[in-house]
Parts: sequence; structure tokens; C-alpha cells
Amino acid sequence: MSTNTAQTLYTQPQTSELEQFLYHEADLLDNNDLKSWMELFTEDGTYWMPVARDQDDPHGHISILFENRAVMAVRANNFGHRLSASMEYDIRTSHLIGNVRVTEFDENSGDCTVKSNFQAVLYYREQTLFAGTCTHQLKRQGEGYRILQKRVDILNCDAPHRSIMTYI
Amino acid sequence: MTTATEARNNIIARQQQTLGHSNEELTSLVEKDRVHRDVYLDPEIFDLEMERIWGQAWVFVGHDSQVKKPGDFITTTIGKEPVVMVRDKKGEVNVVYNRCGHKGAKVVGKPCGNAQMFRCPYHGWTFQLDGTLNATPHKCGYEDTAFDPADPQFSMQKVARVENYRGFVFANLSEQGDDFETFMGAALETIDNMADRSPQGEVEVVGACLPYFHDCNWKMFFENLNDAQHPMVCHGSVGVATKKTVRELPEGTPVPKEVEIISPFGSSYELFDDMGVTVMENGHSFMGGKHSIHSSYSEIPGYMEAMIESHGQEKTERVLGSNRHNTAIYPSFTIKDAVQIIRVVRPVSVDKTLIQTWHFRLKGAPEQMLHRTITYSRLINSPASMVGPDDWDCYARMQESLRSNSAEWVDMRRYIGREESADGLTRAKGTSDLSMRNQYKAWTNYMTQTSEQEA
Repeated sequence: MSTNTAQTLYTQPQTSELEQFLYHEADLLDNNDLKSWMELFTEDGTYWMPVARDQDDPHGHISILFENRAVMAVRANNFGHRLSASMEYDIRTSHLIGNVRVTEFDENSGDCTVKSNFQAVLYYREQTLFAGTCTHQLKRQGEGYRILQKRVDILNCDAPHRSIMTYI
Repeated sequence: MTTATEARNNIIARQQQTLGHSNEELTSLVEKDRVHRDVYLDPEIFDLEMERIWGQAWVFVGHDSQVKKPGDFITTTIGKEPVVMVRDKKGEVNVVYNRCGHKGAKVVGKPCGNAQMFRCPYHGWTFQLDGTLNATPHKCGYEDTAFDPADPQFSMQKVARVENYRGFVFANLSEQGDDFETFMGAALETIDNMADRSPQGEVEVVGACLPYFHDCNWKMFFENLNDAQHPMVCHGSVGVATKKTVRELPEGTPVPKEVEIISPFGSSYELFDDMGVTVMENGHSFMGGKHSIHSSYSEIPGYMEAMIESHGQEKTERVLGSNRHNTAIYPSFTIKDAVQIIRVVRPVSVDKTLIQTWHFRLKGAPEQMLHRTITYSRLINSPASMVGPDDWDCYARMQESLRSNSAEWVDMRRYIGREESADGLTRAKGTSDLSMRNQYKAWTNYMTQTSEQEA
């Protein structure tokens, strides 16, 4: 295409490559390895679980979760802490991911947005099923990706929940 | 013909006879320094509470900014009663029972919306925005039946009393009892303080609420609001984890803004004792005053200037100099004036309680003020936060193990006898159980239907 630049353009990644990335991310969550999990995010990366359908603002409207790296680090240090009443019980999750599709791709930066559907079971004192759509904004870094934002839209975002003890 | 109020009072009177809890029995559940576990466990007592406490107290319904235009409505509950709060065509905010005057179906199903008129989806009876019956389809069937469409029993009935105070709408299901301002007492200052923190003197609800299901009796949540013995224990980990995270930051990294919100939850007994707890009539209480866990927040650029320009230096200093922690307005409502958050208690059953958290914009203030409100609530109140779930867990533990037959009483004696009273308010050190003892004084008064308050 363009003749005025020597820049190499990225080709859109195969869905299978992105699936491997999403599986790896979910696997870290399912192993309660929050420290490794947060390293998948860029320094300005965020995890967002809105409370409203089609919510477009995490700052001026309440969310169930909207956490930057600093709060992720507090959460990792708090996870399983012996001084926390709620952390005395096991927290287990199991993620199932499907319908992975690329919704945006920038051939100049290699960045892409990936949507997937998920079902995640949280076992914490009782078993709870979460289901919905994940939107990962991925930044190309070398051969791999880091997460600029993981947005998790659960079907029952505006329903009353009991405690949600970890990232879904 | 009996009025709606007489009919309701008759129902209460009937229940008093049939439920088998005499006033003497109810009084015996509350002693000066302890309460019997049945107040948390007995479904019959829960039903009585819905009639006698939630049916006689002023209960928070919603904020009028949730129903800005005529026809705007929200649905909620007052105790067990389903209600609709709606702005009518004259601009008045009404609270009506969400029950069709025909077969009793819930007329409005949605949590919020706008309607020209309410229409029952079952047989099509329609109601005006003040609940009055508008029309019934196929009228010929009511000819010669003595059907009187003007009879209130065929309307969505209005609740007995409604008060809109600076946008905060409270309702009372009973015609009798204190008027709103008497009921609120000094707790009204907290609502004033929140509204006065707006340069325009007005606040508005922003967006959807954050709902959180609690597996506990509603009173456990309420008693925790001004229980300052628990933060350093129950929330001990998050303070430690936050300090550790700050230590682990690369040198020169600025301390994240979230730290000033989370850290005070790990404060010492001494800090909470110094905050103090203040109680008043009808079970209300607050912590703090001059200082609280909110008083060391950093200044947001432009806010102070906007306040001084609108209110002047003296009033601004007075308004911002007040730093109450939770003001608990028994039985339904808790407000953080300094952070612009309310939490509303909606009891579901003896061991289930819905807590709704709502967030407010200070009109005329920089948007960062709202951002801090939102950040606070996510970090502290969200079901996915690192603070709320520790409280949640402790309530659930109480609800579970109070069933143990090894003991029957719950202790509430901390700092008893060391209160100080002045100007109708009683104060004690922050880690006192004073607010709980005061709630049970109100509980006994409501439950035994005496109108006199103890001194």
C-alpha cells in the first residue's frame, strides 16, 4: 500500500493465537495467581465490570469493579490474607471461553480488540454462575500482547449480588 | 365506610392478637446491655418489625432527582409493601402502593421508567399518576353492582404521609406518630450538610444503584454502621495489604489516590474512640463530627473556590468542617454526607437483606468530586470490593451461629454508663456499643407501640 514509509504493517492475528492468550489469562485467574495475572496488563491497564447495560463511563458512574494496577496489587496482597474474615474460605473459579472474534484491528500498531463469550463458575461458600461477554483491548508488545482493558459485561450486571471475591 | 388507614390499623391489631408475642415478651428480649438472639432469628418477630417499625417510622423511598419529569417513576419497597414513587403532572412527588385496586396485581414491574398513566397488565385498569383509578375497561359489567370508581379501595392507594426534604423523599405508612422533622432530629443536619456541600445547595442521584444481597437480618447491617470496634479487625487485612503495596512501589512513584480512601479502614482503636459516637431519639446515630475517616482527603482543585463563591467563607468552613462518618437514620437509611453516598436498607426476610448504594453529584462542583464518590463506593461498598465482603461475611457468620443453642444472648455493653448527654444528644467513645443500645431502645418503643421515648 503506502510507498512513503518503511514501517512494517502487522497482519491480523489468527483467532487461535488470541484464544491461547485468553485461555492463559483465564488459567491464571483459575489458579488464583493474581500477581502473574496483573502482569498481563499494561502499566495503565484496567479491569472493568460495569453495573449497567451499555455503561460507557467508569469514572462518573458506579461499577462493580474498575481497578487499575495499583488496586490490583492491593488485591493480590489481600488475597487469602489471614486477617480478612471473608478470605478464610476457599475461592475457586473455572472459566469457559468461546465465540472469540476480533472486532477491531490496527495494522500500524498491531493492537486489537477481542470479544469473547464466557461462562465462569465462582465457588465461594456456594456455587455461582456468571456469564456474559468479555472485551479485551490488547496492545501489541513484541511478539505478544498486554491488556489495556479487560471489560466484563455479566448478564445480571444490575442484579443484587452476594460477595464477588475475585476477578471474573 | 372505614378509611384505608382504619383498615390498616385493624390489620395491625389483628396481627398483634394472632402472632403470640405480647408486649411483655417483646420487652423481655431487650435488656440494658444485651439482646436476645430471637430478634435476629424469629420470622414472626421479623413480620412484626415490618408492621410496627417499618410501618410506623419514616422510611427512605428515593431522591426526587430520580423522577425529574412528570411521569418519571421508580419502584421499591417500604418494609414488605411494594410502592411506586412518581412525579405527577402538577410536579408533585407521590408515593403509592404498587397494587392494583382490582385483583391486587403489582401494576408497575420495572425498577424505573416514565408513564403517562399506570395500566395494570392483567385486566387493563388504568390509574393516574397519583394512584387514582382512571378507568376500567368494558364498564357494562359493573352496572347495577354498586361499583364506585371513586372508592379509594379501587385505586392504587397513597401511603399515609410523604415528605420531600431537599430532594430526599421519605414516607410513613402510618398517619400517627412524629412528624418528619421531629422524627429526624439532629440527623437532619447530615442531609443539610450533604446538600450544602454543593455550591448550588443541591444534589442529584447519578446513574444506577449498586445492589448487594446480604445473608443476614437487616439489623446486623444497621448495627455495624456505627460499630467502630470492627474495622481494625474485620478490615485489618486491607490496611496491611495497602501499606505493603505502597512499600513495593518503585521509588519515586506517586502514592495512588485510592490509598487515602482504603487506608483509614485499618486505623487504630484510639482514632475511632476519638471520632466518638453520638446518638439521638428514634434510634438514629452518627460517628465523627469534627474529624472522621474522611477528613484527610486531598483537596480537589476548584471545589473550594466554587463553594466560597456561592456560600461565602464562613458557611463554607462550617459545612466542610463537619466530617461525620455514617449517619444512621433508623431503620432504613444511612448517609455519608462527606462522601455523598447513601445506603438504603430493604429487608427481604428474617435472614436476607438488600442494600442499595446510591451516589450523588454535588451540583456546581468539579466533576472530580463525583469521581471520588464513585471510587470510594467501588473500593468500600461494592460486593466485589475488599471491604464490604469482610462485613458481609461477619454478618453471615452471626446469622449462622446465633442458631447455636449454646447461648441465647448477644452482648452490647461496651462503655456502658460512660455516656455524656447534652442538648438531647448522647455521646460516647467511638468504640462504644452506644448506637446499638440506642437502636434497641427505639426497637422496643416501636415494637410495643408506646409513643413515649425514654430520656
